[in-house]
Amino acid sequence: MFGPPPRIALDFSHPKPRDGMPTPTNADLVARWKDEPAPLLPLLHALHERDGHLSEDALRDVSRQLRIPIADLFGIVTFYHHFSRDAGGAERPRVCTGPVCAMRGADVLVASLRAAGHDPQAMPCPGRCDQPVPVIQGDTVLTGRTAATLTSGPSPLPAPPPDGIEECVFAGIRTPGRATLDGYRSQGGYEALTRAVGEMTPDEVIGVVDRSGLAGRGGAGFPTGRKWRAVAEAPGEPRTIVCNADEGEPGCFKDRVLMDHDPHGLVEGMALAAYATGAVRGFIYLRYEYPETFDVLEGAIAEAVAAGLMGDGILGTGFSFDLMVRRGAGAYICGEETSLLNSLEGKHPFPRNRPPFPVTHGYDNLPTVVNNVETLASVPPILARGADWYQGLGRGGHAGTKVISLSGDIARPGNYEVPIGLPLRELLDDWAGGPLPGRCFQAVTMAGLSGGFLGARDLSVTLDEPSIRAKESFLGAGGIMVFDDSRNMIAVTRESMEFFAEESCGKCFPCRIGTQRLVERLDGKGPRDLDAWVDEVTDLSEVMKKTSACGLGQAAPLLTESLLRYFPDQVREFVAVRGPQQKG
Amino acid sequence: MSNPLADMDKPDVIFCIGTNMTECHPVAATRLKRALTRGAKMIVADPRRIGLADISDVYLPIRVGSDVSLLLAMAHVIARDGLLDDSFMEEHTTEGEGFLEHVARFTPEWASGICGVPAEDIEAAALLYGGADRAAIYYTVGITEHICGVDNVQSLCNLALMTGNLGREGTGVNPMRGQNNIQGAGDAGALPNNYPGFQSVTVPAHQEKFARAYGRPVDLEEGMTKVTALDLAGDRIRAMIIDGENTVVSDPDRQHCEHALKSLDCLVVIDIFMSETAEMADVVFPATAWAETDGVCTNTERRVQRLRAAVPPPGEARPDWWILSRLGERMGWEGFGFQSAREVFNELCSLSPIYAGLDWDRIARSEYQWPVPEPGHPGTPRLHEDGFINGRGIFKMLTYRDPEETVNEDYPIWLTTGRRLPAYHTRTQTGRSEGLDYLLSEERLEVHPDDIAGLGLQNGGWAELSSPRGCVHVKVRATTRSPRGTVFASFAFNDVPVNVLTGGGYDPVTQTAALKACPVALKPVAPPPALGQTGLGGALGRTAPP
Amino acid sequence: MGRNGTALTLTLDGERVAFRRGETIFEVAERHGKEIPTLCYDPRLEPFGGCRLCVVELEGARNPVASCTTKAEPGMVVRTRTASIEVQRRVLMEMVASENRDTDVDPLHGYASQEMATLLDRYDARTGRFDGALSGESRFDDDNPFIKRDYDNCISCYRCVRVCAEQEGDYAISIMNRGFDTKITTEFGGFLNDSACTFCGQCIQTCPTGALGDLKALANRDVPGETETTRTICPYCGVGCSVDVMTRGDQIVGVLPAMDGPANEGALCVKGQFAFDFVHHRERLSTPFVRDLESGKLRPASWDEALDRAATDLRRVVGKHGRESVYAVASGRAPHEAAYMLQRFIRAGLGTNHIDNCSRA
Repeated sequence: MFGPPPRIALDFSHPKPRDGMPTPTNADLVARWKDEPAPLLPLLHALHERDGHLSEDALRDVSRQLRIPIADLFGIVTFYHHFSRDAGGAERPRVCTGPVCAMRGADVLVASLRAAGHDPQAMPCPGRCDQPVPVIQGDTVLTGRTAATLTSGPSPLPAPPPDGIEECVFAGIRTPGRATLDGYRSQGGYEALTRAVGEMTPDEVIGVVDRSGLAGRGGAGFPTGRKWRAVAEAPGEPRTIVCNADEGEPGCFKDRVLMDHDPHGLVEGMALAAYATGAVRGFIYLRYEYPETFDVLEGAIAEAVAAGLMGDGILGTGFSFDLMVRRGAGAYICGEETSLLNSLEGKHPFPRNRPPFPVTHGYDNLPTVVNNVETLASVPPILARGADWYQGLGRGGHAGTKVISLSGDIARPGNYEVPIGLPLRELLDDWAGGPLPGRCFQAVTMAGLSGGFLGARDLSVTLDEPSIRAKESFLGAGGIMVFDDSRNMIAVTRESMEFFAEESCGKCFPCRIGTQRLVERLDGKGPRDLDAWVDEVTDLSEVMKKTSACGLGQAAPLLTESLLRYFPDQVREFVAVRGPQQKG
Repeated sequence: MSNPLADMDKPDVIFCIGTNMTECHPVAATRLKRALTRGAKMIVADPRRIGLADISDVYLPIRVGSDVSLLLAMAHVIARDGLLDDSFMEEHTTEGEGFLEHVARFTPEWASGICGVPAEDIEAAALLYGGADRAAIYYTVGITEHICGVDNVQSLCNLALMTGNLGREGTGVNPMRGQNNIQGAGDAGALPNNYPGFQSVTVPAHQEKFARAYGRPVDLEEGMTKVTALDLAGDRIRAMIIDGENTVVSDPDRQHCEHALKSLDCLVVIDIFMSETAEMADVVFPATAWAETDGVCTNTERRVQRLRAAVPPPGEARPDWWILSRLGERMGWEGFGFQSAREVFNELCSLSPIYAGLDWDRIARSEYQWPVPEPGHPGTPRLHEDGFINGRGIFKMLTYRDPEETVNEDYPIWLTTGRRLPAYHTRTQTGRSEGLDYLLSEERLEVHPDDIAGLGLQNGGWAELSSPRGCVHVKVRATTRSPRGTVFASFAFNDVPVNVLTGGGYDPVTQTAALKACPVALKPVAPPPALGQTGLGGALGRTAPP
Repeated sequence: MGRNGTALTLTLDGERVAFRRGETIFEVAERHGKEIPTLCYDPRLEPFGGCRLCVVELEGARNPVASCTTKAEPGMVVRTRTASIEVQRRVLMEMVASENRDTDVDPLHGYASQEMATLLDRYDARTGRFDGALSGESRFDDDNPFIKRDYDNCISCYRCVRVCAEQEGDYAISIMNRGFDTKITTEFGGFLNDSACTFCGQCIQTCPTGALGDLKALANRDVPGETETTRTICPYCGVGCSVDVMTRGDQIVGVLPAMDGPANEGALCVKGQFAFDFVHHRERLSTPFVRDLESGKLRPASWDEALDRAATDLRRVVGKHGRESVYAVASGRAPHEAAYMLQRFIRAGLGTNHIDNCSRA
């Protein structure tokens, strides 16, 4: 297990001296990556790490060697939050100002960094809502309340569930050594893969997954078995498994804990997906903000390869599968599967038009499974214990479990693997200890931010899509942020909408313009007359919801819609008291 | 072109040789780029690392004038590795067997010694071209402006014939024509060997047909080419009528040209500007320009299209046909009473089998590519679809010949000439259009940085470029687009008249000048005096009428 | 037709219509006379799905679908103009208008420059609604003489970027940043002339708002008269691109590429697009000239005098040296009628074949 987290002071020396190694040239790094699959992001990261920024000279070399037009490459680089184009840019500390951290002292940390002589920048949620407040500097993520008390370390382990509740993906995660191959195997790890490749046909594997009722745990909820079958049957080779580990949704930090503490669970899940669908290569697309996780995954894959569980001729059979980790560079939209594929392919990370879907036209326009970390990690236990077992974990006729990332104004924030169908109140009060002392719940978000708010009066829902959708929201990836009665919901909505405006990719009009206009209105701009203000906000929200090209633009207005639904008094007061009309 | 422009995004393999298409035919090049996006592969052979080379899969930086050796070796590899289209050769060609024997001795290693391209790259190119289902060749004057221009073209035809890359979509041997109606000038009979419609003047039946139409017989003997005529000016040739050509700037060996025109008894020039050539004339007729003229032109894919007047001409400028009709009348000849472009074009159609199905009204919507043998015929976008009209494609047994002049101690560097995107021809038009100077305000000789250093030149400094025929001074630009030992200049700027230097040889068949390969010497010189006052780019202004 | 030979059909605004496999809903609808609004659509480019104005109701779909990116399928029930769709389009147009400085654009900007203004009118969009920050950042510092880069009027449809990549293959411009901060940029944000731009003008012609404009045409915006167009062929290389010459009175004010030109399909290069004004150059010859016998210099002359002089000189040469002593060189840049008449002059007049053209140079 991990010892107590080390305390680290911000280190501003750059470039980091390497032990006797000459600094690699552009040509060295290009040669290292040029012929690898999906080479652009790792090559850019290598250059970025070497120089502390991406220089014009480096980008021109990349453009020539990878045959990416230089203007396109330049545009692509500017799309990502964490690629710096100015010398020293990578060393500038970036502080989370997401909705939870904003109310948990982001401003204090920023001030203390400034006092310590730094030039801190704001960044969107890096997925540590259970450890406020994170700051990224160089390739290191630290968390803490002041510049002097920043520490680093892996994701906190989830608290055990109440007695009698059975888990799926968290069942073994608290066992010491689980992250190592030996530890994983000591608990039956890779037995599912061994049995599958030895005794089952790919179609039988898909059959088990299908019958288990497992559905996409990244938020979209598409039945996993059906997706796999579609890929297995789609024409075109090679096929690819992509693990979407770009956990960018504010308030979601569940995939991180799974990868930090149970990486082999994911690796085995991907191998099973590959065997089932006939895929020969796989990518874990990991968000930039999880650098320690990157090392954990690379280590696990190396262990698996060395043990014959990955690579050519897995377990002595004719089944081969290569798995690679690719890091994003800070872009929420890359969690959208088609943006992710574009990013992986080194293209501008706009979402693609669908159909066609990735199952037929995915990575390199070939059949591709794109599954979330939690989905893939669920597969080995399902294969090991059977479809019926997994089905039976849910409540009220719902199949399986869902990991919920709980944060904000709650006694015990953290990740909880709950039976699907669990009453939300039970999670909040019994599992997580209820509101902070002397407070009561005002609202929670659903699906991180994407589901908008449930007001206190609707906390009676059960944690399953039908129940939550009945309240005009959705469970999604399972991030729930809690806001108690001390919070100004207009301010919370504004911060949240700012996130979507910042992360809107810019491809479709309703989202690009709409998120901006909603932020402005939540900022006190727009009509002074309440009805006119509400009218504009309603029109913007409706058009975004109905006509946006992808989930971001369709979901962002759930914030404003639920604000108007639950908190009309706060809206009325806000519009009434703000000053004379300000022009944008 | 054997195939239509629309075919250019359809080949699996594209072979561009002697064509700087992104600069000289930019819109056609966009189709090639689309083919590449679709997954086509491209071979580019050119001494200079032109824009196409940057986006090619195999780039062959051949020495100027060595095309035949490269193409023979490619044929060798294709024959050696059995990439032949046997049934096509069987059905549509002759001399194939002899040709395959002939190329057996021209190995890539042999060619490498001549053209300077590594043998393995020649192999790669041959395998790519020979292995494709649909391979298309595109070339421009980089192929024809050599002493072996005809050999070059025939070498390309050999490749297409042996692989069956003719007469189908996305294939062909496709010359890109450089001027908007250079194809049409030939169609209309402005050739010494052909009547309109490429009807040979030596065929008595043709003579008879035109005698009927023109009211007098025309000699059965071919006329002389322009090159010969200029050589014989002041001797057998005593008068010239030159329409819309700035001969002294665009033709090789400028001194020779100027001398030739001066020695005429009578020079009549028709033009829209007082060009350097017009200034030497006895009579200058002002012609209407583009957008002032109704007429017809034919593009590089044989598409016959209408030109329409949008504005009236300046002053008393008149259409060329009107000027020549009136001059014919003044000569006292019958049958020159034409009153409209329509009348002229319809007479052309009536005398030309390839235009027999066309008339002024029928071409209004640019639908037809000749031949259009009769009314109602849909035109012929793709030649040779049903085999060759004249029977079979004939393989030609060619061998490599050195250019007439090759680099030597006195002239150790190859000069090759061409065009640049923002300038057209001698800039009589582009140089008089606002803004084009922003992109290209002066000529600069492109020299490899190593040669700059080796010859003591400076990037941005001046050099004297000389050949046995003369010398010019030009600013130098360092660029790796030029290979070592070869320099490039365009003929766009009158103050850098590179055609003072060229003229070392002509193709014996077509008498096309070897403008693409000229040995020169290069040395640094001081900048010209008083540069600051007059500026550069000055072909203009000086040619203002008195 | 379907695989078994039956016609593929879908229901379009209540009417059963046939379609071809591979067609999008937008294409089917357009063929049937439906006027579906778009701003990011250029028929030559891959469907993009950005502006969302072309959304239609598709039975069974939760949300309206973008008709430009959705392929027609048998049995679809599509409604192109329901009340709610029309409201959404109107709101979208109001949103678009809110991010631009100008909504009234001179048509001389380019071929598609009126598209946004036309739709604002059609939807009676309430401009002034959704007031807020303007997007885009004009690059008036770019000193190129051809392309106006007024990105304050940009709506991020990326037609310019896509036409540069997909049609022209130059990849000179791209998309920088994200969301409302999105900008059209060159490599490293520099001037067009320092990029891969070839100034073909395609970006200008596809821009629907006048954010990009034809500076040479706009320089003529004060020329009086209605703009008329005349279809002709570009005067430069042998590709034979069709162009529509824009004139006001006796003056050429600009050139538009012909979208239906068979050789170019809407494409042009810098010469065809911008090098048109040589026609009106002050050095154009407007009268015949003859060489003065006394001074030896060229001087203006009447047609009568010039024709007489040329005919007299030529007759004298023929008389003295024979009909074989006259030679003619035709132009590769003049129309057929010029070349034809010149060869006729030589052949019908003198009976020789002493004629050539300039293709050997």
